[in-house]
Amino acid sequence: MNRENLRALFTAKSARVDTNKGEKYYQELYKRCRARLDELAKMPAFTKISIKEVLEDEGVSRRDFLKWASAVTAMLMLPSSFTPLVAEAAELMNRVPVIWIELQDCAGNSEALLRSDGPKIDEIILEIISLEFHETLMAAAGHQAEKQLEDAMEHFAGKYLLFVEGSIPVGRGKEWCTIGASGETFEEHLKRIASKAAAIVAVGTCATFGGVPAANPNPTGAVGVMDVINDKPIINIPACPANPANMVGVILHFVLTGQIPELDSLLRPKFAFGYRIHDNCERRAHFDAGEFVEEWGDEGAQNNFCLYKMGCKGPMTFNNCSIVRYNESVNWPIGSGHGCIGCSEPGFWDKYAYERPMADANIKMAPGGGVEKSVDEFGLGLLTAAGVGIAIHAAASAVAGKKEGDDK
Amino acid sequence: MIEILEKIEGEAEVEYSFVSGEIKDVVVRFPHYRGIEEILQGRAALDALVIAPRVCGICGHAHLQAAAMALERAFGCKISKKAKIIREITRFAEIIQNHIKWFYLVIFAQLHIPYDFRKVHQAIVLANRLIALFAGQSPHSSYAIAGGVTCDITHVELLQAKAIVQEIEEILFDLLGEFDEKQLSKDLAKLFEALKSKNLLQIGKSLDRFITLSEDSVVKNVKILHGKRRKTSLRFVQERAFEGSYAKGVLYRGKFYETGPLARMMQMDLPFIKRLHRRYKDSITTRIFARIYEAKLLLQIIAEHLDQIDLNEPSYIPCKVVDGMGYVSIEAARGSLIHKVAIKNSKIANYSIITPTQWNLSNGTKENPSLLQKAIIGLRDREKANLVFRSFDICSVCTTH
Repeated sequence: MNRENLRALFTAKSARVDTNKGEKYYQELYKRCRARLDELAKMPAFTKISIKEVLEDEGVSRRDFLKWASAVTAMLMLPSSFTPLVAEAAELMNRVPVIWIELQDCAGNSEALLRSDGPKIDEIILEIISLEFHETLMAAAGHQAEKQLEDAMEHFAGKYLLFVEGSIPVGRGKEWCTIGASGETFEEHLKRIASKAAAIVAVGTCATFGGVPAANPNPTGAVGVMDVINDKPIINIPACPANPANMVGVILHFVLTGQIPELDSLLRPKFAFGYRIHDNCERRAHFDAGEFVEEWGDEGAQNNFCLYKMGCKGPMTFNNCSIVRYNESVNWPIGSGHGCIGCSEPGFWDKYAYERPMADANIKMAPGGGVEKSVDEFGLGLLTAAGVGIAIHAAASAVAGKKEGDDK
Repeated sequence: MIEILEKIEGEAEVEYSFVSGEIKDVVVRFPHYRGIEEILQGRAALDALVIAPRVCGICGHAHLQAAAMALERAFGCKISKKAKIIREITRFAEIIQNHIKWFYLVIFAQLHIPYDFRKVHQAIVLANRLIALFAGQSPHSSYAIAGGVTCDITHVELLQAKAIVQEIEEILFDLLGEFDEKQLSKDLAKLFEALKSKNLLQIGKSLDRFITLSEDSVVKNVKILHGKRRKTSLRFVQERAFEGSYAKGVLYRGKFYETGPLARMMQMDLPFIKRLHRRYKDSITTRIFARIYEAKLLLQIIAEHLDQIDLNEPSYIPCKVVDGMGYVSIEAARGSLIHKVAIKNSKIANYSIITPTQWNLSNGTKENPSLLQKAIIGLRDREKANLVFRSFDICSVCTTH
């Protein structure tokens, strides 16, 4: 594959996220957000703690807070003029109740939230957002907890954001997983709580696409939230675990606009899943230069070369890890020398799993699968095309590299 | 009377049978199932490194390392000293953050003792940052591979890691003070006073038998029975199914043993733990203090490890997929975790996992009661029983794999 085709592949216009929608659009959006925030400000807060107090307690300056707000504004792909609005939205987060439930899961996403990051974002999440009911985090248990959930559902009917962690067994495993003394199945539990939610946020790959429990042969018949609920707005935040920054982003967006963020065809917010890992990877330059790790621990590995040949799925995976990173942005999987495993893509558990470069993965070209596809239409077609293209590039570069070496 | 507990890490059902106000029997059921072992069957060998760790988001790191070790054993591979040290650092950091979280979010919350949430949270965040520094992210990283680790750290990361360790040490000291049973201060004193005032110091005594099945720089694979130590071998581990639960019980040569921090600290001849044990046996007091003591101890070991890393050693030693068997154990936050893999034609023919909670929360019989049953039967108060239950730091997520 020649460089021109490669360029076309990576710069295809329709694959881009529209980060500039024009002045008129943003002016109207600004007005809408302004009205929404004014309305929220009039509402009573659900938790007593205010962000101002928290900030004062922590000795965080207004300046630092605004710095954080401008970073979030950028992440949400809004113009910088929105920064004061985002800051205000953060202060009004305690007007939006959140209920969090765990189904067929490993608690990894709640863990990620508990270990969350950012300059003082942790406080914002844990103290400002009113997590009305979180099965793992709350102090109550058993019957007491069920009562709390009922109360929260009644009190905030039609207003709360429902965060769901874990997949839902609808097959053979339906009867294997029950909740509480009532013996309610996961599906019934989810449907009941979803019925009164304003919107549902599916967090993690299990809740979005079924995840590891849905891996072949899918013993329990595990599926994602969107396969069970069809009468509510759903926002998918896949990845294993989902990045807490994206969870906060979705909540902030909801507070700010009263609406769910722009989604792609897999219901993922475009602000987070509009680009591939590969597009913003810190090792991208090595990919372009044809410098690859050829074997674990080799010289390439020691020099942080591209991990594509070691099975990195960055070129096929839509997510913002390469920008946001993890654990207070200290690192991310590729930073630790392991390729991306594509954990936010549907079917990663069967399609990608371990170190299989796409060229060896034996994925056939889908009929009519061209390269001119947007994120919305991204499926096996583009994936295959991109995969093959990249594989050829990787192979060619190795040959080229060898020749250069020989010349010396 | 069925009591349902959903505190921390998934859900377990605990059924207490009361007879004239006294608990006569207790049964634990894990009503969830995901089928991860089934899913692993027939996959490419290395897929275990992606699928198996996702059994648990709480101790996924221990699962990742157990999977890598099981594969290494099956393939007959060795890893460098550097890789071993780095794996221990991240695994210990996972244990530390787990213990801090459990100590405050479970035990302090249950006893209604107020605590400095921000400091606690900061310590948890820092411990995870330490993991991420080497492993890329936490939870759910993939940096451990059959043959070593993928990260190629430099002096910069070492310096960063040392700074983090120091910061956690300072926070822990701020929160807990010295571990001196004659002069407990700060939160340790608060905990002791709460247990004392509620008359809880001596509850939760169990079988007083302890086991660890793996060896690392902290523990040896020994069991303590009637105060005597013997080497353990994975050969003698038995699993037993229980009606109505998706978790099997686990025994060692027909006997139940306690696994976890108390078991580990009991074999280390630590004056603090020994004195506690002399006075309170294996009650919740010793169990809770041993667990938080371990957090402090492992932090010291991480600091020592950081000084011992030889950056010139390889991170990875070539390791090829060949057929074979791997049967290994590793110490996770809650005790000995076991992974067993059989590789045939480069595919996983069989994979089985035994989690620490299975050891502690088995269902025994009247003649041969399990850890939990022995600890709870005879209590007259459900609140107390729940506290004993939680003193084992259950993880039903892991257990319902």
